[in-house]
Amino acid sequence: MTDGAGDAEYIELHAASAFSFLAAASQPEALAERAQQLNMPALALADRNGLYGVARFHTMAKKCGVRAHIGAEIAVSSFTTQLTPASWLPHQFPAAPPRLLLLCASQAGYQNLCQLITRFKMRETAKAEGAATLDDLEEFSAGLICLTGGDEGPLAATLAREGSQAARKQAQRLTSIYGCGNLYLELQRHHQREEECRNQSLLRLAESLSLPVIATNGVRYATEKDREILDVLTSIRHHTSLDRAGRLLSSNDARELRRTQCMAALFADLPEATANTRIVSDRLEFTLDNLGYEFPHAPVPDGETMDSFLEKRVAEGVLKRYGSPAKRHLLAKARAQVAHELKLIAKLGFAGYFLIVWEIVRYCQQHGILAQGRGSAANSAVCYALEITAVDPVGMELLFERFLNENRGEWPDIDLDLPSGDQREQVIQHVYERYGQLGAAMTANVISYRGRSAAREVGKALGFDDDQLARLSGLVGHWEWRGENDTMARNFQQAGFDARHPRIAKYLDLCMRMQNLPRHLGQHSGGMVICAGMLNRVVPLERASMPGRTVIQWDKEDCADLGLIKVDLLGLGMMAVLKDCIEIIPTHYKKEIDLATLPEDPVVYQTLCKADTVGMFQVESRAQMASIPHNAPTRFYDLVVQVAIIRPGPIVGKMMHPYMRRRQGKEEVTYAHPSLEPVLKRTLGVPLFQEQLLRMAMTVASFTGAEAEELRRAVGMRRSMQRMKDLEGRLRDGMTRNGIGPEAQDNIVQGISSFAMYGFPESHAASFALIAYASAYLKVHYLAAFICGLLNNQPMGFYSPSVLIKDAQRHGLRVRPICVQHSQWPCTLEAALDNLNFPATLGAPGPMLLGTRDSNHSQQSTETNLSLRIGLNYIKGLRQSSAAAILEARNHAGVFASIDDLARRVPALNRKELVALASAGALNALDEVAHRRDALWQVEQAGRPVGPLLRRAAPANTGAPTPLRAMTTDERLAADYAGTGITTGPHPMAYQRESLRQQGILSAHELETRAGTPNVRIAGRVICRQRPGTAKGFVFLSLEDETGIANIILTPDVFEQNRLIVTRTRFLIVAGKLQNQDGVVHVKAQTLTPLGGPTNGPDQARNFQ
Amino acid sequence: MKQDLYACITAAEFPAQALLRLRSDLESEPVAVLEGRPPLETVCSLNRPARLKGAALHMTRLEAEGIQGLRQIPRSEETETAARAALLECATHFSPRLEDVSRGTACACVLDIAGTERLFGPPETLAERLRASLASAGFRASIAVSANFHTARLKAAATRGITVIPPHQESTALGKLPLDVLGLDAEPAETFAIWGIRTLGELAALPEIDLITRLGPQAAEWRSLALGAQPHTFQPIEPEFTLKEFCAFDTPVDQSDSLLFVAARMIDCLVARASARAFALASLVLHMELEGGRVYRRVIRPATPTIDRKFLLKLLQLEIAAHPPQAAVLLVGLTAEAGQSSKVQLGLFAPQMPEPSRLDVTIARLKAIAGEDRVGSPVLEDTHRPGSFHLESFVVADSAFAPPAEHPRLALRRMRPAVPVRVELRGLKPVAFHDNQRCFKVVAAYGPWKTSGCWWSSDGWNTEEWDVLAETTAGSVACLLVRNHQLSNNGRSVWQLEAYYD
Repeated sequence: MTDGAGDAEYIELHAASAFSFLAAASQPEALAERAQQLNMPALALADRNGLYGVARFHTMAKKCGVRAHIGAEIAVSSFTTQLTPASWLPHQFPAAPPRLLLLCASQAGYQNLCQLITRFKMRETAKAEGAATLDDLEEFSAGLICLTGGDEGPLAATLAREGSQAARKQAQRLTSIYGCGNLYLELQRHHQREEECRNQSLLRLAESLSLPVIATNGVRYATEKDREILDVLTSIRHHTSLDRAGRLLSSNDARELRRTQCMAALFADLPEATANTRIVSDRLEFTLDNLGYEFPHAPVPDGETMDSFLEKRVAEGVLKRYGSPAKRHLLAKARAQVAHELKLIAKLGFAGYFLIVWEIVRYCQQHGILAQGRGSAANSAVCYALEITAVDPVGMELLFERFLNENRGEWPDIDLDLPSGDQREQVIQHVYERYGQLGAAMTANVISYRGRSAAREVGKALGFDDDQLARLSGLVGHWEWRGENDTMARNFQQAGFDARHPRIAKYLDLCMRMQNLPRHLGQHSGGMVICAGMLNRVVPLERASMPGRTVIQWDKEDCADLGLIKVDLLGLGMMAVLKDCIEIIPTHYKKEIDLATLPEDPVVYQTLCKADTVGMFQVESRAQMASIPHNAPTRFYDLVVQVAIIRPGPIVGKMMHPYMRRRQGKEEVTYAHPSLEPVLKRTLGVPLFQEQLLRMAMTVASFTGAEAEELRRAVGMRRSMQRMKDLEGRLRDGMTRNGIGPEAQDNIVQGISSFAMYGFPESHAASFALIAYASAYLKVHYLAAFICGLLNNQPMGFYSPSVLIKDAQRHGLRVRPICVQHSQWPCTLEAALDNLNFPATLGAPGPMLLGTRDSNHSQQSTETNLSLRIGLNYIKGLRQSSAAAILEARNHAGVFASIDDLARRVPALNRKELVALASAGALNALDEVAHRRDALWQVEQAGRPVGPLLRRAAPANTGAPTPLRAMTTDERLAADYAGTGITTGPHPMAYQRESLRQQGILSAHELETRAGTPNVRIAGRVICRQRPGTAKGFVFLSLEDETGIANIILTPDVFEQNRLIVTRTRFLIVAGKLQNQDGVVHVKAQTLTPLGGPTNGPDQARNFQ
Repeated sequence: MKQDLYACITAAEFPAQALLRLRSDLESEPVAVLEGRPPLETVCSLNRPARLKGAALHMTRLEAEGIQGLRQIPRSEETETAARAALLECATHFSPRLEDVSRGTACACVLDIAGTERLFGPPETLAERLRASLASAGFRASIAVSANFHTARLKAAATRGITVIPPHQESTALGKLPLDVLGLDAEPAETFAIWGIRTLGELAALPEIDLITRLGPQAAEWRSLALGAQPHTFQPIEPEFTLKEFCAFDTPVDQSDSLLFVAARMIDCLVARASARAFALASLVLHMELEGGRVYRRVIRPATPTIDRKFLLKLLQLEIAAHPPQAAVLLVGLTAEAGQSSKVQLGLFAPQMPEPSRLDVTIARLKAIAGEDRVGSPVLEDTHRPGSFHLESFVVADSAFAPPAEHPRLALRRMRPAVPVRVELRGLKPVAFHDNQRCFKVVAAYGPWKTSGCWWSSDGWNTEEWDVLAETTAGSVACLLVRNHQLSNNGRSVWQLEAYYD
């Protein structure tokens, strides 16, 4: 190696990014930018066993004017293992297959590479690295150029272990696979003696076989300094610390992206090696612009095109949707709108996409699975007509262009909400079946290093002990990563760490540099990519951790960038509840219900206005309850606003209160600029929706549609801080040109920025509002069915089942306890009237409460004939198979005569399950059972059957009374909560009411009538503790008693003084000031006292930070 | 027939007691003892003031920090072991027959006190004296005396102060005790809880056969315990044989003579105790607590176990001389490991070997002179740092010879210390160098071979090596030049002639 720079141009053809997952240290974008800085005209990205980073690399390289070559390092198991240090040197290298570098020369080559990776990844039975065989290489060799790799390559290992003859055979084998002109012997120079020795052997090999040589640098990071990150990642990969990693770490920092001159100087003695990089680069014609992806063609009948077929289906849908007398006035408008949309769809060639989503929705309909489109698709009348969405965009005047416009140059995105659980999985599996295992796959979710994970793993690598690690990573939990770069340093200083101390400073520096580096690949919650041909030719597929799932190597943003279309199949608990209701209501109420045609019911809005919303979708939270009376929704659009407004975005962006004040007429409706009036009129001058922000940008800053689209994309994405900043500059320039003053500019920019993380499209809000309205309607009119659905789809929502049951009982629903003679596995409705009455003095449900709390109950007569039977699924510790055995025995030979009879006829029940049933009171209805303890006494004997040998000697059940005394009320409640998490009897507070009344302690219901009493005392069970990030340390408690839910507010001081009581006590007495603002009642706590709990049941409160 | 009589001592909240008996300043302070790995520590024991402040067992550290004035101390196993030994020591003064019945965080033992009336008086008096003795040792304990072993144990665990249970009154005395004193497993405890059986009296009242059919034969034992009728075979504990000597100084000691004077006496004691059991000392652990909270610990391991006092003291003296403590000594402890004293049968034709104790002393002297890490066999390290190795103690290898290398390798003659040279460069490449005596003209240079590492610590390195063929007036030589980039010295670099190629 001698110096002396040559003029030969060099192109790096072997660079790995951090998407080699812990084996390289720079983002693909950083490599592309560095190539631009070095005036390198092209660069090849080759990550380990995948194309994970190529989409980002391609996008950034395009911006930087660098040609992005695509390739991958492929592990091959047919060779000997990778090179490791000599046996006499201590080292910790694990055995790993060597890797070849394959570069895509043509689209065929790219498709082969994708198929090759898919082949060996899918050969694994679970998520794994995998490795190709020589047969695989042979099958998928066309269009690929092979480089033999550096020290990770097969020749390096073979030369070191078996000598030049074996290496020669190996090179010949590779030549036979890729052809003479497509195999290059790779030379790298990292200033290592052993490597140079190997290079000399390779040169002799090349000469003897007439193979070309090529220079690369086996790049692992963009700049020298990033070697530190690589060493940290290496330590993490090998589960060791930097101090102990030894030879696993890099020996120097020579694997950066080097300048052309530097490489030319290094290979001055081998000019052909560098010249060949240019030759190979010229041969690599493939770019990701030419991906070859086609969305599947929807099958259509003969004589039809996809466009014509879609048009007919839409026409049918329009008639169905708008043909009813209630909507007939919109028919003409709807037809005009769909004609406009269909024209655009036809022009953009998207008909297939709509038909495919329509097919999925039809599959759902045919299989009784409720499905509803959410997101921007709800802006489309075509989607509404195809029953993909349920929001009427014509009636609501939604902006179609938000969903699809000619200038966007991007595919539409339809998200479907499905009932969470098995049914969603059923739909996903249907898509796999229809398009094949290699025609559809989930999108990936790249798990990246964030504050806490980076802090923890870097700390481990640096050898911090557990205590230090806990302190440091605990500190990181509170960091705001979205702020300026120095936020972390400032936090360190505030926490008492000296950021100037070399070790802490290095830690800090590494943590910051690790941010956003990919850690591993996960699975997106519901995004599925579907392909016309074989998806495995477009992007490699691999196994997901979840059995039966495959995942592509790109995340949803990569898919969007490269034009891959995905359908999001998302799980929503409330959809499952609605679906259950649709099934239950016809059976028990003798009525059919169509969610698409629910009437606008003033009773429902009155209920919403009273914040009587426990269990309702999206409007049940404490914050929603506090705001909904102010908003006072009286029509559907009010609900749309209500759903959207209680979000961190509008709250942080200071949108919520202005809107509320304007809504209540307390503040004048004004606009930041007169030109914004048409845009913001619907929301009283306050920007709330993404669509409005889009239109605002177009109006005030004269953004084009494309720019506005870019803005929308930027505000909706996580990795968009820089883009947001750039766009802000352009936005302000535009506003200045349009004569908008600085203050108005600030307001407008603030409005847009606050949506950076939490933006909500109007159409999405409308879709959610529709579900919210449906849930409210069902709760008001079909309470029993709705609560039954809710209880059968837990966990979901804001409240625990016990709170839902108590709320339902306050609304007059009779809830019957679990009974082995009557209960099914899920909760069910029972029709017959019964004598299940509670003493009115205990505040149990009854006419008194119905009269006072729920006078609007339209279905009262039906409801009073229905009662809810809690299912066996609520008994903790009872297996579903055992419950099935109970039901089978009961159906087969009738109810059980006694506990012995039960134990005999259902041998599947073990002792623990019998105890669980007895403890929950499920055996109380059996003959010879006096009370729960009696049942418990009996099951202990029944649950321990003696063997046949001793059966005669076993004492018979003498029928003697139990020596155990009956449970007290407290014990019964405790057993209920411990065994089932709920109680169907009176609320625990009801038993103490008399005593509380004597002490002057009010009930939740009484609070509403004590407007004139400034100081009050209230007691109840804590069902919810909240300390939202937007509330500046204020804590919100919800106290439940037998009459309702009381809201308590704690100032940060009061919370600090009573931290233990607040966080640990289940029953509280709160004294404080009563505040009633327009019907929203809460108590501002001054003192808190634990109430001698009537039960020692488990803490059921849900805590939210 | 001799009447059985047992006294049970129970020191509750023992982790807290063990820590606080040595900290009289914390006597009235609220103190919680935490255990578990950070940051998941929970309260495992606490004193009465802490309980009054609202602290409770199993609280997390975060919750405990929320209680104003509550002092949190980590649990110390060593302190508890020492305290337990002290408590048992007190008990043995009253009866040589002890059985350890410690459970959970309580330290408890039962004494067989049958026939001790003539020594200590009636049971009440014995209990008073025992309690006073424990109090003087810094323990708060409850004591129960009963003719039934388990009755005494259960009563002491569940009550405070002194209880003497008259014969045949056991079931009455136990009747109101909570069921959890039985220390039942989770499953039966849960069963009794849902049955509403909370006291031993309620358990005793259940019909025996019905109970056994439901809960198995163990239930008979629990019922018998509740009735105070469960028999017990006494299992006296064998005092643990530990060779430990501790000596705390009134004032910090910084003279090694004073230290060795005490150490000599400690070694005498240890040797005497070991010899009494026909053992020798295989190792000595010297443990010292120093001013400033530092701990000093050295291990002395003679080649063979020995009872040679002078030899052991000499090794100790050399060890202290080689590694003098960095601060005055507050406490010194010697822990010895017992080993079989070996006698070597000398063979007539066996080669003459040095006496093991002499070899030990020689190596210890060498280490004292050259340094701990400079005597032994060199072993290569797992690092890219050039020439990196460390020394390990001499070990006789199983295989005498390493297999010969397959290929002949170049040999280097390393210069120690490396010779600083001034190097003339052209570009980055050396063309000539001087070593203050001679001038070398570089004919050919290969390199640079670069290594760097340990960038995360102050021990980082960054070197480049050149293999050069140089000519002098005396002829040509092949040598290795090394350039060290000094990371901490503004990036300055130093050239050295590291080696000659043979």
